[in-house]
Amino acid sequence: MSSPESARDDPTGPATPVPSTPSGAPARPPLRRPTTGRRIGGVAAGLAAHLGASVGVVRFAFVILVGLGGVGIALYVFLWVTVPEGDPYALDDRPAHLSRLVRPAAGLAGPVAAGRLGAPRGSGGPGPAVGPPPDGRVGAAVRTLPVTDIAIALVLIAGAVVLLAVRNGAHIQSTWVVPTLILLAGTALAWSQLDAGQRGRWRSRAGGRTPVSVLRLVGGLVLAGAGVLLLVGQEMAPEILMQSMVAAIAVLAGVALVLAPWWLRLVRELGDERAARARESVRADIAAHLHDSVLQTLALIRARADDPAEVARMARAQERELREWLYDDRPAPGTSLAAALRAVVAEIEDTRSGPSGEAVVIDAVLVGDREPDADTEALLQATREALVNAVVHGRPPLSLYLEVGPDLIEVFVRDRGEGFDLESVPSDRFGVRESIIGRVRRRGGSASVESKDGNGTEVHLSIPVRASEDHAVRAAPGQPRADDTDPVKER
Amino acid sequence: MSEPVDVVLVDDHLMFRAGVRASLDDRVRVVGEASSVDEAIRVVRELRPPVVLLDVHLPGGDGGGGAEVIRACVDLLGETRFLALSVSDAADDVVAVIRAGARGYVTKAITGADLSAAVQRVAGGDAVFSPLLAGFVLDAFGAAAGDIATGDDELDRLSAREREVMRLIARGYSYREVATELFISIKTVETHVSAVLRKLQLSSRHELTRWAAARRLI
Repeated sequence: MSSPESARDDPTGPATPVPSTPSGAPARPPLRRPTTGRRIGGVAAGLAAHLGASVGVVRFAFVILVGLGGVGIALYVFLWVTVPEGDPYALDDRPAHLSRLVRPAAGLAGPVAAGRLGAPRGSGGPGPAVGPPPDGRVGAAVRTLPVTDIAIALVLIAGAVVLLAVRNGAHIQSTWVVPTLILLAGTALAWSQLDAGQRGRWRSRAGGRTPVSVLRLVGGLVLAGAGVLLLVGQEMAPEILMQSMVAAIAVLAGVALVLAPWWLRLVRELGDERAARARESVRADIAAHLHDSVLQTLALIRARADDPAEVARMARAQERELREWLYDDRPAPGTSLAAALRAVVAEIEDTRSGPSGEAVVIDAVLVGDREPDADTEALLQATREALVNAVVHGRPPLSLYLEVGPDLIEVFVRDRGEGFDLESVPSDRFGVRESIIGRVRRRGGSASVESKDGNGTEVHLSIPVRASEDHAVRAAPGQPRADDTDPVKER
Repeated sequence: MSEPVDVVLVDDHLMFRAGVRASLDDRVRVVGEASSVDEAIRVVRELRPPVVLLDVHLPGGDGGGGAEVIRACVDLLGETRFLALSVSDAADDVVAVIRAGARGYVTKAITGADLSAAVQRVAGGDAVFSPLLAGFVLDAFGAAAGDIATGDDELDRLSAREREVMRLIARGYSYREVATELFISIKTVETHVSAVLRKLQLSSRHELTRWAAARRLI
């Protein structure tokens, strides 16, 4: 095959697979082999994207180079092996669970964000121990490699080389052809393994060591070995062939024995390094979060120390955000009624203040959860009105209780104010009454307001669960609340 | 007013200990403090207070935090009662410390007066349930799904009355208000709450452990 030097002499030499540095906007897309729109290995497409040239031109150049004594093949294979797979146009190929924190940082602390951005990407992938990669983004980038296509391609290339050689007057013995093909097939198999291993690193922390990959490697080695033997030992007698094979295997085993400790240490060091990188990335995440939110809030609190209500509000908002960051599972938007309700609570705590301007704290206890639908959306809005009503007219502490049962969803909103008689509510509060009670009743639920003399008011809302509906489908549109579960959106 | 209750305060943050000490009223007297697992075990064994206010997350020991302290003092549980006081909302923290033997769980946002009342209640042998803990119980025992015990000796399910009490506590009702609402005496409410605490501690309900491990909700 080719020597790497021949490829480095090529004008594209500098574009070896060093991931682009993230400082500043990259002038051109990084050199990656795209998974879509590829003919063989995506080398030409990736190169075209990187150089800003048309794919056709690059492919044509490769064909020309193939004509020049096979340089094109060598170059192609070299790039195929060395250039990592990926979407060259992807702005940020880190997994979503790492990008979560960068979003707020981007607006607030540029240098920190930029510095952090570099760490995971420069390492060529996420740390293996950070967490399971979310299926959405990485899953889209990973595609099963068409091994058969590659094999066919290599066979075709080999055929082209042979034909070229024949045309140039080389005398090709038939006994050369089969061993060469076997050798090539073995090499292809082993190299496809390398390619797959690269993807495996994205997918699993085992480094892509699956039974299939092992089989591929072993099969490739056996094929290549057989090919070499047949090539070298064409005119040998079978017993000499056997002897030399045994000798070769013995030499290989000896070399393996000598290199094994070194190899093991290398593997272990690699693992250690990956783990350290993962820890470092988690630490950077936490540091960035603390910097962006907690420290800033503390600075704000110190600056506003003369305004107790505002200080309490900021402290509460920060506490809520930190809790969410530490303990919450962050369900996907539109899938959790509890998360939507928590977002409503957060919004009220952030934007409202009590009758005498004090900060609002709502003790929320949520039992059970389900996917939101139009009914729960009505319940959510009614709950919101009830909470606002309690904030404005009631007295703290405010309690909110949600219970999602198999056939009934119940909400209780309680304050410790004077209480009021529903029949004697002033006309200006009729709208509130309508927006709480009417909303729920229209959905087949019930609503009641109970006032206990001097002991607060409790609004009780409940709606039945409709069993036979597909909530997932109905929940998709008209769910503005669910998006607000993102704790950093408003920062 | 009777004699103040002696408590030992265990928390690794000096500032928080000072804050709690200042907020407690004259129903409670802080007789000792500790800031790590080992120190807490030593101080509790030495002073044998009726009540220990215990943080869930503590340094030292084998890394077991507050639950480890309770387990190391399990022979004292007759005379010393533990009230977990934590900033953590994580369900596994709550369940771990309760199952180790704590008589209650309150969050650090509690007011001084409420905390003093809770200490007194624990000293009297009763359990203290915050709305949050009641919510955990309802969630863990599947009470919201209508999984109701029929017999008194069932450990894995709540009785209908216990569920009612838990629901009212989760809705922010005090024990007195629960009693008024259900037309029962405060003593009966306390009995129900203690029964629920016992179930929470002894239940082998496999969902409970799995739930605590898998679920982290506020």
